[in-house]
Amino acid sequence: MKGLPSLLASFSLPGALFSHYRRHPLQLLALAVMIVLATMLWTGVNHLTSQARASLNQSEQAVAERQQVVRDDGQMLAVDDFVALRLVGVCVMPWLEVTPETGNRLVGIDPLAAYCFGSRNRPSPALDQPLNGKPFLDMGVATAIKSRDSRLYLLTPDTTQTADLPGGYQLTSFSTSPDTGELGDSFLLNLEALGILVLLITALLLRSVYLLGLVQRRDSFALLHRFGVSPDRVQRWLVFEILALALMCVVPGVGLGRWLAAGLGGGFGQALDGLFDIPLYAGQGQGWAMPVLVMLAVVVIACLGDLLLLRFRERLSLILPKTVYSGLAALLLVAGLAMAWLAPSLPWVFIAVALVFAGAGWLAPYAVARIARWCAGRSTKPLALWRYRELAVLARRLTLPLVALQFALAMVLAVQALVTTFEDTFDRWLGQRLEAAYYIEVPAGADGRQAAEWLTRQQTNTPGLQWHRVMRGQAQVTGTDNANNPQVDVFAVAPVGALIRSWSLLEAADQHWEALDSGSGVMINEQLARRQNLSVGNNLKLRLGNQQRVMPIQGIYPDYGRPVGEILLSAETLPDSFNVRFESFSVTPGKPGIAQMTDALQGIWQVEALSMRDNGTIRELATSVFDQTFALTRAMTLLTLILAAAALLMMGWVFFSTRAWYFRLLVAWGMSQRQVAGQLLRLALLLTGGIAVLALPLGIWLTWVLVHRINPLAFGWTLPMAVYPAFWFELGMLSLAVGLSIAALMRRQLGRPAVAPVSASALTGGER
Amino acid sequence: MAESLLAVRGLSKHFVSGNETVPVIEKLSFTLGQGQSLALTGRSGSGKSTLLNLLCGLELADAGTIVLQGQVFETGAKIARQKAMKWSSLRRQQIGVVFQEANLMPALTLLENVQFRAQLAGRSTASSQDWLTRLDIGALAQRYPDQVSGGQRQRAALAMVFAMEPALILADEPTGSLDRHTADEVTQVLFDLQARYGCGLILATHDAELAAGCQQHLDLGHLSSL
Ligand SMILES: Nc1ncnc2c1ncn2[C@@H]1O[C@H](COP(=O)(O)OP(=O)(O)OP(=O)(O)O)[C@@H](O)[C@H]1O
Ligand SMILES: [Mg+2]
Repeated sequence: MKGLPSLLASFSLPGALFSHYRRHPLQLLALAVMIVLATMLWTGVNHLTSQARASLNQSEQAVAERQQVVRDDGQMLAVDDFVALRLVGVCVMPWLEVTPETGNRLVGIDPLAAYCFGSRNRPSPALDQPLNGKPFLDMGVATAIKSRDSRLYLLTPDTTQTADLPGGYQLTSFSTSPDTGELGDSFLLNLEALGILVLLITALLLRSVYLLGLVQRRDSFALLHRFGVSPDRVQRWLVFEILALALMCVVPGVGLGRWLAAGLGGGFGQALDGLFDIPLYAGQGQGWAMPVLVMLAVVVIACLGDLLLLRFRERLSLILPKTVYSGLAALLLVAGLAMAWLAPSLPWVFIAVALVFAGAGWLAPYAVARIARWCAGRSTKPLALWRYRELAVLARRLTLPLVALQFALAMVLAVQALVTTFEDTFDRWLGQRLEAAYYIEVPAGADGRQAAEWLTRQQTNTPGLQWHRVMRGQAQVTGTDNANNPQVDVFAVAPVGALIRSWSLLEAADQHWEALDSGSGVMINEQLARRQNLSVGNNLKLRLGNQQRVMPIQGIYPDYGRPVGEILLSAETLPDSFNVRFESFSVTPGKPGIAQMTDALQGIWQVEALSMRDNGTIRELATSVFDQTFALTRAMTLLTLILAAAALLMMGWVFFSTRAWYFRLLVAWGMSQRQVAGQLLRLALLLTGGIAVLALPLGIWLTWVLVHRINPLAFGWTLPMAVYPAFWFELGMLSLAVGLSIAALMRRQLGRPAVAPVSASALTGGER
Repeated sequence: MAESLLAVRGLSKHFVSGNETVPVIEKLSFTLGQGQSLALTGRSGSGKSTLLNLLCGLELADAGTIVLQGQVFETGAKIARQKAMKWSSLRRQQIGVVFQEANLMPALTLLENVQFRAQLAGRSTASSQDWLTRLDIGALAQRYPDQVSGGQRQRAALAMVFAMEPALILADEPTGSLDRHTADEVTQVLFDLQARYGCGLILATHDAELAAGCQQHLDLGHLSSL
């Protein structure tokens, strides 16, 4: 008697299990689409990150752990120095950095000279690569490039000792731009955090869709159990089923993700290049195995994780009462908040972010349910009471998609604030740096002084003429706590006129511009201030050329270009021994126009043509490079948000449908369909609006972390923290639109004739 | 007969499934006096639930007239919207509907359910607790529907219906999912209260014993086979 059904069931178990999806093909489709989209988004972000990582690694490897030979007198190295060193047997390799007139910086190296690098005459692995990839070139090619800036470095292996060097030379560490490693890592860290967040959100969505189906299948599981099929066997089949589905969907998902990354990533390397001012290789693609395996694991864990861990959880909930859970969540949240505030380094900040998200995600649906119940307790009208109670049920039942939407909203909000702030700030800063209309280089061998004198004479009778002379070089900050006195860039300006005085400063003393003009003070950029812990009023000890100077700091200016320390001072006070690496004029020609000026300067300098830049074009170029990066980030986050919104819409609708009987009960009790639809609308709007409201503080906090914690720790500068209520409003509208759509779908369902409640729970009084 | 509570004349209803027209109720006529009870029987699918839905306006008839409490509903006579409003207000205050199950809002306690229904009907909520007590579930007032038994839930459903002081109760197999003993108890309470408060009752059931307790009898299965 009992044997027959069991036998039948054992033959058709997969068929019996799968029959659910034959009856609900849309659910299967939703699950499949969700897996594909989740895989695509995560692979996309991940692919971009790994591409960027490969590029950064390669370029870092090429410059890592090297030392260089420099002259004691601080003068720039020349070919003579190379010859002199080689003659005494020191292994040096020339490294020529050139910045072409158009395009990014290139590095010329001489692989033949590198034979002495590495042990046993084996060339160093970093230099073992063929020299066909931009931006590394053969030395011969690099010297032939028409450039606006070039500098020669001589690298030497770690084995070289100071004693090996001839007199007049010393060893220092070498890196093309200080701290690019940290800078690049931070950006990757940000991207990776974004990727993990995306993965988390999609896993939550996936889980919610899967659980939905599982709840409906519970009846057939019970039936199978009665037929004598053990739950273990059912579970094994479920794992098999989801694995098969995942495999079918993950592979195209990975393909789509790579396609997305390739489409978006074309300009990405370029953007990174412009962003960090470090040379990048184009990254090689990642294999397929990794993302496929990761996504398979994520799908199985997201769908069946608790089924597999059920026993553990049962034991846990035996030990811990429910209130302990929310207490634990609150604890996580508080610990995360405190940690983010106090964290000394980046990894701790990221852990703190994880804690805060875990806590907030855990608490949010509880909070909505709690608030709803509190409102219910205060409402005197039964209808309001009913609405709030129903809201509490919905909040608990829709926990996963709600949390996913909350996270997505918070993430989009933070990324938007960060990106918009960055764009604004960067624009303002570029504007400051490129205040003058034109930038004119002083030709090699020519004297800038004559031109300055001519411009001074013109000043009196040319309306609108604004100009200053800029001399760039390097100085050494001395007397710091650090043993190695850092090199800083010098930005020497004269006269200190309107072009400079329009700069906005982070911090300034009284009469700071006057002090700068008279040479009785300097200004420093934020990077230097943070790194050396300097503030206005402190004295800065400097070695300028061969002179030792002590100058009070008059102001600190924001500088978002490179993570290098920089000082701004009056060019009048530079000692003659100061090595001017670069000299230029910034000019806004005023009424007579630029042509007249270039003619005059060509005459003064006795040259045929001037090297001149239109600052407007540069500004455009720089802005467009940044725009690309930001557009990418925005696109990724927006996609996630759309996915989350769509998932909530679907889940909301499905769950509302399971309660359709009770909504129709209101009709049976004499409310008109229009009134009931109104109630549903308010319910749906309360739900999605509530989650948007809860996402707001999380998003603002995340913005604060990005701007005030992660950025200074990683980049050495802060961005002004700005909030964008208009965008909050847009996100709020989106949430309400989701609510509105749920209500509209439900309204259609109300119109259909009443059938008995579908869910099995109705037989026991309904879920609450 | 004095003023009748309900008069049905020539009522017809069909459903369309696919391209087939299934007549469910054809040219049905009957009347129900004030305070009278009527048992509606017939085999499954004979149209008992459909008729009850027609009688409270949850579905609209294809043809025929329903006169309820002096209000006349004729097919096609009025704009659908106005008709729906009239039915709504009748269901709100005059017609109490009891289904086989799920008559209570799951997120409200038994007492809150009764209060909700009374308030919708415009009655005082002061006596809500008394109604629960009268139905022997006064002690369970603060419980939620999933915290009481099926019989207790149906008692609560009856409390709700009586709390709205209806003129007519439409009960669709109200004890269909209860065991014999509990079903008898609940039905007994229903008949007692119906007699005491003098409201009309139409009880759909395929239980001949229950049907015997009613004053009138209408067999839909018999009708449709004619
Ligand atoms: N919305 C609908 N669309 C199509 N056919 C319907 C619809 N509702 C009911 N029917 C059909 O009308 C007939 C009468 O259904 P009804 O539910 O009234 O029967 P019933 O007498 O209440 O049966 P039971 O005793 O099983 O509850 C059935 O054949 C049913 O299939
Ligand atoms: Mg029926």
